Amino acid sequence: MQNLILYSLSNFIPETILVVTIIVCIIADLIIRKKSFAVTFVAIVGLVLSFVFVVKQWGLSMSIFSGMLAIDNYAVFFKLLFIISTLFILLFVETSKEMKTASHKNEHVYLILSLTTGAYLMASSVNLIMMYISLEMVSLTSYILAGYLKKDKRSTEAAIKYIIYGAASSGIMLYGMTLIYGYTATMNINEIFLYLSKNPITDTPVLLASVIMISAGFGYKISSVPFHFWTPDVYEGAPIPITAFLAVTSSAAGFSVLVRFFLVGFANTEIITAVKWQEVIIVFSIASMIIGNFVAVWQTSLKRLLAYSSIAQSGYILLGLAVVNSAGLFAVILYLSAYLFMNLGAFYVTILIHNKLGTDNMDEMDGLGYRSPFIGVTMAVFMFSLAGIPATVGFIGKFYIFSALINTNSPNLTWLAVVGLLNSVVSLFFYVKVLKHMFLNKPEKPLPELDYGYANILITLLLAVPTILFGLYFTPLLRLAENSIKIFGLN
Amino acid sequence: MMLENYVFYLFALVTIVSAFIVVFSKNIVHSAVALFFTLFSVSGFYVLLRADFIALTQILVYIGGILVLIIFGIMLTNKVTGAELKTRNLHFIPSVVVTGIITGMIIFLLLSTDWNPVKDPFSPNSTIKQIGFKLLGDYLLPFEIASVILLVALIGSAMYARKK
Repeated sequence: MQNLILYSLSNFIPETILVVTIIVCIIADLIIRKKSFAVTFVAIVGLVLSFVFVVKQWGLSMSIFSGMLAIDNYAVFFKLLFIISTLFILLFVETSKEMKTASHKNEHVYLILSLTTGAYLMASSVNLIMMYISLEMVSLTSYILAGYLKKDKRSTEAAIKYIIYGAASSGIMLYGMTLIYGYTATMNINEIFLYLSKNPITDTPVLLASVIMISAGFGYKISSVPFHFWTPDVYEGAPIPITAFLAVTSSAAGFSVLVRFFLVGFANTEIITAVKWQEVIIVFSIASMIIGNFVAVWQTSLKRLLAYSSIAQSGYILLGLAVVNSAGLFAVILYLSAYLFMNLGAFYVTILIHNKLGTDNMDEMDGLGYRSPFIGVTMAVFMFSLAGIPATVGFIGKFYIFSALINTNSPNLTWLAVVGLLNSVVSLFFYVKVLKHMFLNKPEKPLPELDYGYANILITLLLAVPTILFGLYFTPLLRLAENSIKIFGLN
Repeated sequence: MMLENYVFYLFALVTIVSAFIVVFSKNIVHSAVALFFTLFSVSGFYVLLRADFIALTQILVYIGGILVLIIFGIMLTNKVTGAELKTRNLHFIPSVVVTGIITGMIIFLLLSTDWNPVKDPFSPNSTIKQIGFKLLGDYLLPFEIASVILLVALIGSAMYARKK
């Protein structure tokens, strides 16, 4: 046993580095005792070190800690995604005026790092207990971060709403897990798959119920309908860098564990026909797209608009899972890498606007495209990418999702692609509405131009350039996605 | 075996009745006291299931820790805000319908499923040693990660509780 644990630890270095970094940050915070970039710098060093060791895990395929975690390319892909997003968020926090008003010093740094650690564990969990514990780690940190602006009533309200919905949905998820354990007598998803494929499935209601209950926990993380009620309020109340973090890292972590749970534990034609989880995913996905897109049309707050937009986006990603083959999974991975750049970018431009205007109300943004052409143009890039216009990375994501839907024959899902396309048209309407406010609406009186520092422009470009570049030259993304999904062995 | 059944039904009755008092009592202190009986008889179920360690933990954590904390919380907030400690129930009919549906579903699942029973349900020995080995063996990682979660929770609560 000792040897096994030591062996597992030697493959657990990226996570260990992050936990050590958290502790070093806490100690550094104690020594420095004021707001300082030094703590953020320690965190960045830790993340870069962890990055090096994550890259070293590329190509491995093993399970460690007695089948708790899997080390494989799929997990490595997600860990890289989390590292990139965390690095950006740390920079966002540094340049956001809103976070400067907080009375806290550097707590956000190690809270953000612990969310990343939880996300790492979520991406590699193959055991129901581990999935639950890592999900709780991400959730708990998100609750704390959502209420970071203690003096702001809306931020506190967001934290309270988040914690109540979160507690309810993880309770439902745990109940679903006990049902599966009672039926298969195991908690490892590989063993669940073996049990289900060896024994004829006679009791489908219990499996269907437990699958739906477990989806409540994961669906809450990815803010898919009907578990989305927290999303608009939390997105609106939380400080914008934190909102961006929840929208990208926490949501991608939810997808990583959801996809692994279904495609490892239940991906077999007999199990799919017996348990009918594919239909469940299709229903969630259609509901998310429709509610997300149609409610977003009426929003006047940019943050709420982005909240409904991410509900809709999680609907599109679920479409990729609903195909249940390697093409669909491939599209999910592509879409998530696109989502990283375009969503972070949209949120960062929102931060920049909020820094100058002090609001995220779209009526206040009239004529902003002329007051600061840079903000206007980059926002246009991110909005077009989120809508899926060609020559942006968002188009590549949507293209592969829809082509996976059209190319599958068992069952025929072309109608689902049509639903998705129609929804994209609706989404174009509200994404362009943001640009209409910026360029076409004239403000009542002429307003001064807005200047942004080099740091702000550089960070925006770091997100805008990949959004366009990967939209034109996407072979590296395709290669990455192709190698990330090999372990699933789907056809 | 017969005696065990009677004890089970006794515990079940106490759990359900006291849970109803928790929900419907107008006085929040009465609710807290009724919660004591609910939590205590739940630990009785664990004893009947031969899970001695979990039964003890249930008493230690829920009654010794959480319940006392709740009662302290009520006393302190009462002193600070001076608000009346009355509770009432909102949305009575919708919640009865929803809980009714969920209860019906769970009962249906319980009766209709061919459960996969645990191999050796009645071990006469204490389970503490086995749980200890499992926690530091197969389940080492979740056990250690739980401690990181506690660290995060500690940071968070300190952050919120600070005056400034």
